[in-house]
Amino acid sequence: MTVARDTIADLEYSETELMAVLMSREVRDGEVSACGALSQIPATGLLLAKEMHAPNAELIILNTVFRPFHTSRQFHFLAQRGELGLFFVSGVQIDGYGNYNLHQIGTDPDHPEVRFPGGYGGGMIYYCAQRTVVFRTEHTRRSLVERVDFISAAGSSPDNVLRLGNPSKLITPKANFRFDKEAGRLRLDSIHPSYTLEEIRENTGFDLGVTSAAATPAPTAEELHALRSVVRPKMIETGTYAAWAERSIGGATK
Amino acid sequence: MGVPYVPVIGLVGTDLLKRRDDMVLAPDPFDGKTVSVVAKAMRPDVAVFHVDKADRNGNVSCGYPVEAVILAEASRHVIVTAEEIVDRLDEKDAAGTFVPSILVDAVVHAPFGSHPAGMTGRYAPDKVHMKEYVAASRDDAAFAEYLKTHVFDVESHAEYVERFVPREWQRPTRAA
Repeated sequence: MTVARDTIADLEYSETELMAVLMSREVRDGEVSACGALSQIPATGLLLAKEMHAPNAELIILNTVFRPFHTSRQFHFLAQRGELGLFFVSGVQIDGYGNYNLHQIGTDPDHPEVRFPGGYGGGMIYYCAQRTVVFRTEHTRRSLVERVDFISAAGSSPDNVLRLGNPSKLITPKANFRFDKEAGRLRLDSIHPSYTLEEIRENTGFDLGVTSAAATPAPTAEELHALRSVVRPKMIETGTYAAWAERSIGGATK
Repeated sequence: MGVPYVPVIGLVGTDLLKRRDDMVLAPDPFDGKTVSVVAKAMRPDVAVFHVDKADRNGNVSCGYPVEAVILAEASRHVIVTAEEIVDRLDEKDAAGTFVPSILVDAVVHAPFGSHPAGMTGRYAPDKVHMKEYVAASRDDAAFAEYLKTHVFDVESHAEYVERFVPREWQRPTRAA
C-alpha cells in the first residue's frame, strides 16, 4: 500500500466504492460497529475501516460469518445495553428531520401504494446505537423528502424519552449530511467530487440548512487499494455478498 | 420470561407505534419521569413451526439459528413440523437450536414443509412458485384462488408434495 499521494486526482472509482469509503471513515477504532442484512455497502465499509484506521473495531455484519451471535435476541440486547457504537441503516424515504421510512409509500396506512418489509430492528437500534449513519444509494427528491410518508424510526425524541443515541450522518452518492441534534435537522455537510451545491439543492426534497459546504475528500489511493485488493476478496469470502462484490468492487488496483 | 410486559428502548415517535395496541409509552416506575416504550408480553395459544429434525420424544433440532426456542417457551401449545424424524436427539446434536420435548406438544413428519420457502441446509426457496405466490397476493380474488388450489383443495401433505414440490427436489440429495 505505497501508492504515491500525488496520483490521487487521477483515481477513478464507482459510486458504490465512494460510498463504501465514506462509510468506512465513520468507524472508530475499538468500537462495536454493525450493519443489518442486505447491507453490502456498509459491510464493505466496515471491513475497509478495519484495514485502514480501525484494526481493533469489533464488526457485526448480520447474515455473514462476521456475526458473533446465534440469535437476534443476543444482538437485540447488545444494542439495548448501549454497547453498539455505530450502526448503518437505509430507508426508502429519508426526511429533513432524520426520520426514515422502511414501511410504505403513501400516507394512508390501510391502502399504501407500495408496501415494504418494514422493520422493528432499525426502529429499536436507531435509539440505542451511539451513532447511526443513514445511507441511500439514490439521491433524488423522491427519496430525500421533507416529511416521510411513514415514520419507521424518528430522528429525535423529546428530552424525557430514554434514548441512548441519535442519527449522526446521511451518506448518499452525491453528498454527506450531518444531523444537528439541537435543531433536529439534517444539514448539508460536504459535497462529493464533481457535484455542485446547486445540483444537491435540485435533488434534495428538504432544506439543506446551509448556503455553502466543503468538498468531501475523495477516496485516497490507499483506501481504494485496500478496498480492491484486501476487502473485495473478504467480501467474496462472506458468501452472502460474493456475487455483489465481484460485480461492484473493481478487481485489483488499476 | 413469564413477565407481563417489558420496557424497550426505541420506537418512540414512530407511526408503527400508532398502529399497535400492544406497545405504549410509560414512565420509568423508579424515577417517575423517563419515558420509554413498554411492550405487552406475547402469550400465543399455539405456535406452529417447521424444523430440521425431531425425535420420537419430541426433542427438536431446528437446524439453523432461529428464535423458535423463545416462541416455544412463550406459547401454551407447540406443534412442530419436521423434515426428518430420528430416534434420539439431545442438545449436543443441535447447538443453539435445541428445543426440549418438555415444550413440545406434537410433532408432525412433513418433508418439504417449508415449501415454497426454503429450508437452510436442505433446499432453497422455490423461486418459480414464489413468483406465482407474490402475483396472487396482489388482490383478494387471486389470493383466494391460490389458497383454494394449494391449500383447501389438497387432501394431504403428501398430495401437496406430489403436486407442487419440484420433482427434482424429491431425490435424496441435499441442495442449497
